[in-house]
Amino acid sequence: MKRMVKFQVNGEQTAIDVEPTKTLLDVLREVLFLTGTKRGCDSGECGACTVLLNGQAVHSCLILAAELEGQDVLTIEGLSKNPKELHPLQKAFIEKGAVQCGFCTPGLMMSAKALLDRNPNPTEEEVRHSISGNLCRCTGYSKIVDAILTAGEEIRGNSQ
Amino acid sequence: MTATLEVEKYATIGKSIHRVDALEKVTGRAIYGDDMQFPDLLYGKVLRSPYAHAKIKRIDTSEAEKFPGVKAVVTGKGAPFRGGEAIRDQPFLAVGKVRFAGEAVAAVAAETEEIAERAMELIKVEYEPLPTLFDAVEAMKPGAPLIHEELHTYAHMPIVNPIPNTNICAKFEFNQGDVEKGFKQADHVFEETFTFPTGHHCQIEPFMAIAQAEISGRITIWVPNDAPHRLRKDLADAMGVPFERLRVISPPYMGGGFGGKGGLKVEMVCIALAMRTDYRPVKIVLTREETFTSSLMRHQAVVTVKTGVKKDGTIIASQSKLVYNTGAYAEKGPTVTLHGCESGVGPYKIPNVKVEGYTVYTNRPVAGALRGYGLPQSSFAHESLIDMIAAKMGWDPVEFRLKNALEEGSINPTRGDVLSSIGLKECILKAAKAIEWGKPRPPNRGVGIACEYKATKTPSGSAAFLKVEQDGGVTVITSAVEVGQGIKTILAQIASEELGVPVERITVTSPDTDYTPFDASTTASRATFHMGNAVRFAAKDAKEQIFALAAPMLGVSPGELETINGDVRVKGDTKKMTIAEVIRGKYRAGMTILGRGSYYPEIQGTMFSARSIFYMYGAQAVDLEVDLETGKIRIVKITAAHDVGKAINPKACEGQIEGGVVQGMGTAVFEEVKFDNNGKMLNPNFRDYRIPTASDAPEIVPIIVEATHDEGPFGAKGIGEMTLVSTPTAIANAVYNATGIRIKELPVTQEKLFNLLKERDA
Repeated sequence: MKRMVKFQVNGEQTAIDVEPTKTLLDVLREVLFLTGTKRGCDSGECGACTVLLNGQAVHSCLILAAELEGQDVLTIEGLSKNPKELHPLQKAFIEKGAVQCGFCTPGLMMSAKALLDRNPNPTEEEVRHSISGNLCRCTGYSKIVDAILTAGEEIRGNSQ
Repeated sequence: MTATLEVEKYATIGKSIHRVDALEKVTGRAIYGDDMQFPDLLYGKVLRSPYAHAKIKRIDTSEAEKFPGVKAVVTGKGAPFRGGEAIRDQPFLAVGKVRFAGEAVAAVAAETEEIAERAMELIKVEYEPLPTLFDAVEAMKPGAPLIHEELHTYAHMPIVNPIPNTNICAKFEFNQGDVEKGFKQADHVFEETFTFPTGHHCQIEPFMAIAQAEISGRITIWVPNDAPHRLRKDLADAMGVPFERLRVISPPYMGGGFGGKGGLKVEMVCIALAMRTDYRPVKIVLTREETFTSSLMRHQAVVTVKTGVKKDGTIIASQSKLVYNTGAYAEKGPTVTLHGCESGVGPYKIPNVKVEGYTVYTNRPVAGALRGYGLPQSSFAHESLIDMIAAKMGWDPVEFRLKNALEEGSINPTRGDVLSSIGLKECILKAAKAIEWGKPRPPNRGVGIACEYKATKTPSGSAAFLKVEQDGGVTVITSAVEVGQGIKTILAQIASEELGVPVERITVTSPDTDYTPFDASTTASRATFHMGNAVRFAAKDAKEQIFALAAPMLGVSPGELETINGDVRVKGDTKKMTIAEVIRGKYRAGMTILGRGSYYPEIQGTMFSARSIFYMYGAQAVDLEVDLETGKIRIVKITAAHDVGKAINPKACEGQIEGGVVQGMGTAVFEEVKFDNNGKMLNPNFRDYRIPTASDAPEIVPIIVEATHDEGPFGAKGIGEMTLVSTPTAIANAVYNATGIRIKELPVTQEKLFNLLKERDA
């Protein structure tokens, strides 16, 4: 029943045997031990499991692992591997106090990355819209929105 | 001048340093319960009752037991324990009958989750439905069918008084002055009834636990629980074993609590399974649906308030009756009711007060602590009525509140104690100013305000150790739980300030009841105050030991020493040594300096029985717009001013305020758990139980007010719970201001407001 699937995770090629019922989230957490991607509802409603699939933000709980052949996955662990070289989003989340319990944080940052990759100069409304599929019960979102706007500024500064 | 001195006074207190756990969290490396793995781990699944009230006639687990890969199956008879902090009324799994839809009836542990799930489906249960009760007011009437026939036999907390042969599992009363006389003296008397909806915490992390039995008879449980020591006591009481047979370990991080992840939830069934798996650990992670139906909810409450006012606007009497629907088991319902009664009358000088509160069993899922601990319900009723009185008597709502507001030296209207450290008027004035109260607004725009005071559970204790290692590094050993609020950072700042060691050299542990000392709970907004004190005393104790060692080395007396930035210095002199040099100077072969600290307020009584050691004060104001065509509310801005005593970390306080306000906003405008006629939950998911998203959240102006408390660490009090108490009422009061429609039942959904607008215009 298992099937071999080759795909890229955080810049590295990987090959795993997957059962047809397993999702990308299952594989990330249980096979690759990339537990930074969180399981909050398993039905695409909370956004805690958001990762980038070929650059697009997706709910990894809704993607079947068997369909990953040749695709490119980026998780929170791939955003930076060295604390001295944090992604602008990570720096801004720390700086602005945008983290509380932290359970929604990885998914939020991946949604924000998809936005900033597409548009490093978003309006506040665009930021709010881009993360409206990521539920956070702790922060009230103010500091998260602030952090994403700040990260956008840094990214724009870097590319000038 | 004062401000400058303040800045110089402290090295780290009052500074918005970065959270000590932020790096782990933004890199996805922070470990939560479900991230924990063991090589021999089994997975548990729970079979739950589809009935809200039914006799269990027969359970047949034989097919499930035979299923390949199944290691254990358990039912209520196999785990004959009953637990509960307030009343020991809840079986680990249902025995004899089920009392709510979603109650655990049987459970399976297996090699994989899939096997456990398939085996669970093979368990056959025969039920005989019993009459159901869902409405608390109905359930407390004489002659109502009993949900707990044996209520009179249950053990309970001293302050809880169940009424035998009823569904009333607790009744509380507060009396001050003479309320009848008060009403006679009043020129106007107002009376209204308000209803607050059933709500859910919606922590983004689902409930989970891992339990393992050892051959010695010990049981270890890894669980995101907000009070590991209380959990150990609750389990020991339930199972009739001494504390040392149980070990509770907190996973490094918890994905949100809000009061829900305390007491006995998934812990019960997880332990029941672990006791029969040949010592292999069992992990249970609830689905989102189970997290809704089978963990905990916020009490629905019906509150009737009668208030007497003199012609000049002085509140002279207040009488209220509060009924809290606690569902099938008491959980923390009794003390939630107590706290709702205690400060629900509002932060006003009222000489004659009578409050009666009832905690009532029904066949709803269990209700318990949710941020605010009963106060959002009672505050909504009282603060809405205050608004109605102001309108009817021609007072401005802000002026009316200021006229009656508690101030330094006022008498607590419910308990009669003399109050101090009161930043209330400043909160009201600042929230009103920030919302531009009194500014003319376009049609259909409205402003509203509400204010509050909130008690913490008293008396309660906290203890901490603090290790200073021979290289000068520090570990704070504490059972305070990092639920997301930032307590690790706050305790690191307090230890840093007292000990004179930079925050970067301080590590704060997670709880493990084998190693970390007692703490009552990380609830009731008590951690900064209670554990903050314990950590400060432990740091002081360690510092004094270091001074005693350093004094002869520096040729001075200990009293002439101070610590700054990891150095021991002679005050007013250049002579200094590092803390590491002091420790190694004495103990050449290595040693730890061990500081001890504990805090327990000098107040007599059993838990929850006494006047609060501190009170938090707050006021929130709302500016909103109502679309008359659709009933849609657009919240423009919410200003929230909260008296925290002293903000150890202002940014963390702002985060608490912003988060609480948005949670309160959800409660006001869309959150409500709904059920069908048989008690089955209709919206146990985030599609149908909507919580605010980033697009829903309004602009929030957090305002920190600091009326320092003599006994708090550096003057600090607490913050977490109070930040959502006033939000729903301030929104309802703003809806009134915009439309003339008084909201007596939350949430004020678009549909509800649309219908109310139609009624108004008919």
